[in-house]
Amino acid sequence: MLSLWPLLSSLVCLAAVTYAKSSTGDSVLVVLDQSLKRDNFSIFFNGLEERGYDLTFRTPKDVQPAVIADDHPQYSHVILFAPESKSYSSDITPQSLVTLLSKNTNLLIALSSKQTPLTSLASEFSLILPPPGTPLVSHFPERDTPATVIPVNVAPGSVLSSDLPPVWFSGVPFAFGSSPLLVPFLNAPPESFAADSDRDNGADAIFDAAEKGGEGLWAGSSLGLVAGFQTRSGSRATWVGGIDIFSDEFATKELANGVKPGNQQFVAEVAAWTFQESNVLRIDEVTHHRVNETLTGEQYTINDRVVFAMRVSKFNPLSSTWEPYSEIADMQLEFTMLDPHIRTMLQPVEGDPGRYSVEFRIPDRHGVFKFVVDFKRRGWSFLESTTVVPVVPPRHDQYPRFLSPAWPYYAGAISTSIGFVLFSALWLAGDSQEPKKSKSAKSD
Amino acid sequence: MVRPILSLTLAVLAAAEVYASTLALQTPRYSLKSPDATEPRSEVLKLGQETLDLTLGPSDTLKLTFQVIEETEGKGVQPHQTFLRFYDEISGEEGIQPVRVTAGGKAKFELNMARPPASLPPTSTNPLKVTLLLGSFTHSPAKFELFNLRLPESQSPPQHSEEASFHPLPEIVHTFRPEQRIPAPAASAFFAAFVFWPWFVLLGLWSFLEPRIPHLFSPYIFPFIGTLGAFEVLLFWYWVDLKLGDVLLYGSVLGAVTALAGKQALAKTAEWRLGRK
Repeated sequence: MLSLWPLLSSLVCLAAVTYAKSSTGDSVLVVLDQSLKRDNFSIFFNGLEERGYDLTFRTPKDVQPAVIADDHPQYSHVILFAPESKSYSSDITPQSLVTLLSKNTNLLIALSSKQTPLTSLASEFSLILPPPGTPLVSHFPERDTPATVIPVNVAPGSVLSSDLPPVWFSGVPFAFGSSPLLVPFLNAPPESFAADSDRDNGADAIFDAAEKGGEGLWAGSSLGLVAGFQTRSGSRATWVGGIDIFSDEFATKELANGVKPGNQQFVAEVAAWTFQESNVLRIDEVTHHRVNETLTGEQYTINDRVVFAMRVSKFNPLSSTWEPYSEIADMQLEFTMLDPHIRTMLQPVEGDPGRYSVEFRIPDRHGVFKFVVDFKRRGWSFLESTTVVPVVPPRHDQYPRFLSPAWPYYAGAISTSIGFVLFSALWLAGDSQEPKKSKSAKSD
Repeated sequence: MVRPILSLTLAVLAAAEVYASTLALQTPRYSLKSPDATEPRSEVLKLGQETLDLTLGPSDTLKLTFQVIEETEGKGVQPHQTFLRFYDEISGEEGIQPVRVTAGGKAKFELNMARPPASLPPTSTNPLKVTLLLGSFTHSPAKFELFNLRLPESQSPPQHSEEASFHPLPEIVHTFRPEQRIPAPAASAFFAAFVFWPWFVLLGLWSFLEPRIPHLFSPYIFPFIGTLGAFEVLLFWYWVDLKLGDVLLYGSVLGAVTALAGKQALAKTAEWRLGRK
């Protein structure tokens, strides 16, 4: 009998690897269009369930279960796969979606070339959609799928794995505004463009649309197809240009060289980022004290040497715990009173995982200062910490006591004291010298 | 389940038949014209060989003409997509410019740097790789690398106001007030010693005078001198270490003692003075 242990251990490992939890909760509401079937997206949804999420399905027009009730989000994450619905029930409006984001609920939203209330919401996220009815079209590479079904190379970035095979995509592109909160995941191929024609004689229309001014032509690799948005409150929203990228059909359609496409892994990683599993950081502890002390000072004096230390953890979705994280190389600390007086790098401490500390000298201005840590990088959650601390000028007895230029004065004062005692001694103890004859008269 | 497969197969077959013919370029020509030069010559653009490097000044004009044909029959066609792609490989900036093609496949593109099109990407000193993209629903697509183009530098694209905070910001170091300058300790030591010069005069004069202090250790006088000395010691101790409360305490005690001793001493000296008289 062959040993079963390798098989068992590999199964356990597989289960451990596939079980990944979000740092904000497991309940997911999937708003699925009436015309879409859950089975067409079984690979994606089953993948989510295997990772430990609870999926609840409803159509856009259903009133129950509500996405938000009494200003409280009912689910930790919301997937909006309703790209062609023109109307939703009253709990899904652009305003309610923004409220959800501000209450730390993550969103995954799919668009299509039809105009819906969500297309106007996309512009709030600094995404500029093409005119309605113009899906992404690419004649390159030569292939046997329609021009709207496009294999797209996944460029290496900081969030997704670096060796993903090309993914099949069908939908609309969007142009990026300048907001730094956007995290592009998938950019359009350079030869692609948005067009509403399906015959060669549509070429004139394309040229005229480009000449018309305004945004011109949606074309090239500066367009995005899948983009994430990290809000300042910590929640994440991902916009996907088409829903077919999640479908089973695209996940199993072979690429030109017979290779399996990266759709399944790509959408799983995008969902992991969106649901705050990956690249999530938090600050555990902030301390500050004078260099040779351990207690936090209530106030500091100017020119004091202080140590500022911070503990940072990263969420590990596989074990669902927060683990100390020391790999941030460029975190900065600002010591601010209205403007930063000092900005220095917060270095990770060797031998103490998760701890970052820096030692510096407090400026020689007194006032109310703040230790400010504001760490924002694309693709990562934001770290923000502000600690207010008063800085006072030295007390009257904190100045140097004895100064070398004062030695003459010390000498003078001591000299006077000695002189006084000597004089008193001399006067009291002394005898006035009489002339010889009176002395001799005295000696009688 | 069968129907989608069937329609997909038919589509594949149809596509396979039609994708036989490729698009090609016939007589691609370009010409560079500066405002001060005479009539420019139109040169043939050789494709497939070493890429040409062209440089445009701020008021130069680049004219590009070609004809798109079907490779097999040589007939002119109008493809769906005729785009010029300007790509800066180093910075990643890209611009796509569609080119108008007539029904017979003839295309003309003019780039006048005095009035640049909005589709040009922001340029720096890096060259732009110019590629011609031809795409069609009925023919195989084709991509031609035309030339490397150097354009005058443009303004960099406007950045969001918060973009800088997403990268490390420049370090700020506080400039402290310089330490107070004090004169050299040697000079202070010299002047401290100098302060004692009257003592030499005094001691000199005393040695000349030879004063006598016969009553120094008398039990009436010595306590008072001692308490005076103790007061000086207390003052020195206060200067070095003690706090006001303590010094007042010790001083009041010592003061009482001094007053008594002093009264005694003065009475004694009065007695001696009167007695001598």
